[in-house]
Amino acid sequence: MQAAKTLKTSKDRIIDIIFYIYRFAIIFLVISLFIPGLNPAKISSLINSNMSLFTSGVSYSSLTSNILRAVNRGWVQNETFRTLYIGSMASCVGVIGAIIGGCMSLGSLKLRKLGNMITIVGNIISLFGFVGIAAAYMQLSETTNLERVEPSIPIGYFIIAGLVLLVLILSLILLIIQPKAGAKDIYELQQKYKLFLLMVPFVALIFVFSYLPLWGWRYAFFDYKAGGTLSQDNFVGLKWFRFLLENEATRRDIIRVLRNTLAMSGLGLATSWCSMAFAIFLCEIKNLRIRRLIQTFTTVPNFISWVLVYSFATLIFSSEGIISNIIVSRGGTAVNFLMNGENIWLKMLAWGMWKGIGWSAIIYIAGISGIDQQLYEAATVDGAGRFRKMWNVTVPGLLPTFFVLLLLQISGILSNGMEQYLVFENPYNTREIMVLDLYVYKLGINSGKIPLTTVVGMVKSLVSVTLLFGANKLSKWVRGESIV
Amino acid sequence: MIKIFSNKNKQLISSAPKYRTSFGDVVFVILNYSFFIIFTLACIFPFYYLLINTISDNDLVRKGAIRLIPKGIHFSNYLSLRSVNDLMQAFRVTVSRTVIGTALMVLASGLVGFLVTKKEMWGRSFWYRFIIITMYFNAGLIPWYLNMSMMGLTDNFLGYIIPGIVAPYNIILVKTYIESIPAELEESAYIDGASYMMVFRKIIWPLSKPILATIAIFGAVGHWNSFQDSLIIMQNNAQLYTLQHRLYMYLNQTTNIGQVMTSGNTQISASTQAALLNSKTIKYTISMVTVLPILFVYPFMQRYFEKGIMLGAVKG
Repeated sequence: MQAAKTLKTSKDRIIDIIFYIYRFAIIFLVISLFIPGLNPAKISSLINSNMSLFTSGVSYSSLTSNILRAVNRGWVQNETFRTLYIGSMASCVGVIGAIIGGCMSLGSLKLRKLGNMITIVGNIISLFGFVGIAAAYMQLSETTNLERVEPSIPIGYFIIAGLVLLVLILSLILLIIQPKAGAKDIYELQQKYKLFLLMVPFVALIFVFSYLPLWGWRYAFFDYKAGGTLSQDNFVGLKWFRFLLENEATRRDIIRVLRNTLAMSGLGLATSWCSMAFAIFLCEIKNLRIRRLIQTFTTVPNFISWVLVYSFATLIFSSEGIISNIIVSRGGTAVNFLMNGENIWLKMLAWGMWKGIGWSAIIYIAGISGIDQQLYEAATVDGAGRFRKMWNVTVPGLLPTFFVLLLLQISGILSNGMEQYLVFENPYNTREIMVLDLYVYKLGINSGKIPLTTVVGMVKSLVSVTLLFGANKLSKWVRGESIV
Repeated sequence: MIKIFSNKNKQLISSAPKYRTSFGDVVFVILNYSFFIIFTLACIFPFYYLLINTISDNDLVRKGAIRLIPKGIHFSNYLSLRSVNDLMQAFRVTVSRTVIGTALMVLASGLVGFLVTKKEMWGRSFWYRFIIITMYFNAGLIPWYLNMSMMGLTDNFLGYIIPGIVAPYNIILVKTYIESIPAELEESAYIDGASYMMVFRKIIWPLSKPILATIAIFGAVGHWNSFQDSLIIMQNNAQLYTLQHRLYMYLNQTTNIGQVMTSGNTQISASTQAALLNSKTIKYTISMVTVLPILFVYPFMQRYFEKGIMLGAVKG
């Protein structure tokens, strides 16, 4: 008995292989549920092309967002769309059944068989859903205005229905081929799989929101306009990459934006020692209560948003701000200092420091309290003064921290965020304040130049990752420790 | 990354060897104190100036006569905010996303942080890296936006919540913290027949409250200050703008803010009407309302904030 259990027969191996195919088919099914290009419910051009099967089965309002006019004109009936909605919903429910079955396939024999049955039930519901979608299509094709409604069965219909059928057949085969569960068998899932299944939803979320956007890089190779679709027809290869280099106006823009980005990041890098100095000098204040108070007040600005910082800026520097008030009361004229593009890089640096220096000093303050006091005592005995001790004891103690933060800052040299520059931007300073992130936002979201900005974002991401790895290598080489 | 610093020497600093007081020392101390006092004042003055301008007499504020001392204190500006319609809606949206988003993020970080400490999980280190590595790259703003719109999360409240549920950095913090809890506690529970979820609920969750509080505070501040996502994914649904987004719009409004009031609300008194028309004070008051929660929370939560940055220094 024991030997029979451990020995894998060829039948067991076949079952294993079928299970692998089965699980992969289910994973593909789940992914295709979220891909708009494969939406089987897109049976008419009235349906938004950005909708996936999942959205069609969940949100009736977005499914029917464009049909109002068509219904009023009598081209389509509301019932058709209700059928379509219910059909999509049934398909989604079926896929959920398949997911449950797929998860249970990691368990004991009895659990696997139960999982297979759930999958079968789910997929049969799913098939009914597909029948519903087909029925909706039949009704649609009787429309009086074929040109505007354009009823068609999308390619995704066949792909997803095929996947559902495949999973259904596989689970039927598995149900038959697997040995009967004995009376002593129990529903059981191994610990390692139990833990893994608890983890799956979170891994899926990370996949959807952090990895799936990479799939959006394909827009860089198409001639895409907002609301359109990607197809063979508008595939343009490296056109946008060339455009970036060859189009005179764009190239000039990019160079200017890069100059601003590097200048402001460079200023940030050049002043990154300031928070260390801030911490060192703050620790020279020996009254703990006062030091604590200063620390509290100087860290508050870090927690307010850039919009509020801008609000403060108008409060103080605008033409109705306090400085203008004072000028006016002395007999001058009000000046709006924010509408002035001079030295904007330095001004942005100043705002950044006002907001962040107290906060970034905290890590150094903690670092100072971690330095061995005997070093200071020894230095005192050797006759070192205050500054000598700072320079020869405190600074070397903080350098490792400083080094790591500096390397991380270098790898983020192209990403200085857009909020700060967006709120402070105005026609007077827009040439100097426009950084890469803001440029991508303005051009991509506001002007809808999606492929071009995707190219820019793509290059930026690749450069940042390269810089990070470079910094990591450097850190390993210099300190023997990696930073990421 | 950086070794966590021990605090055992903290007291020693104050009792550090005394300097012989010389003229140079006196000069240094004076200069040092003056620098920090000036910088601290620069940090808090805007908050104070904002406050006194919202509670002082509106006419004086308009003339710019309020500089250091509030005059003619009244609170009608705050009451009149109720009739700025979009503001209340933005307030509701921001409060809901802060509460819901933070709660889900903390739950998820706690659970995932616990799960990734379980060595017996299938493919544990792979999944952990799969999550953590996303801190170091991103596809870019436009692909992210297209992805959100593909998911149907644009112009949808869930677009604020769902992407933020799994926060890799917070997972590292929780994982590091849970690893510092003695393993015997868990093991004895398993021997007594407790399940993973039971151990999580009864042992890990209560014991990791300090770190969970820390990430909750950071998460809440992040949600409260959120502005970029509202700007990008809620373009066609002004009902879902966050408070910061509204404030940004008000600040940029050159026309009179009176236009954003509910038209036909006849119950507002004449003085409130006048206050509403005074766009300057209304802008100030909205700013104040936006910053108040942070100011209220900050003093109580400061130690959590600081703990957060210190824990962040530990390599995940």
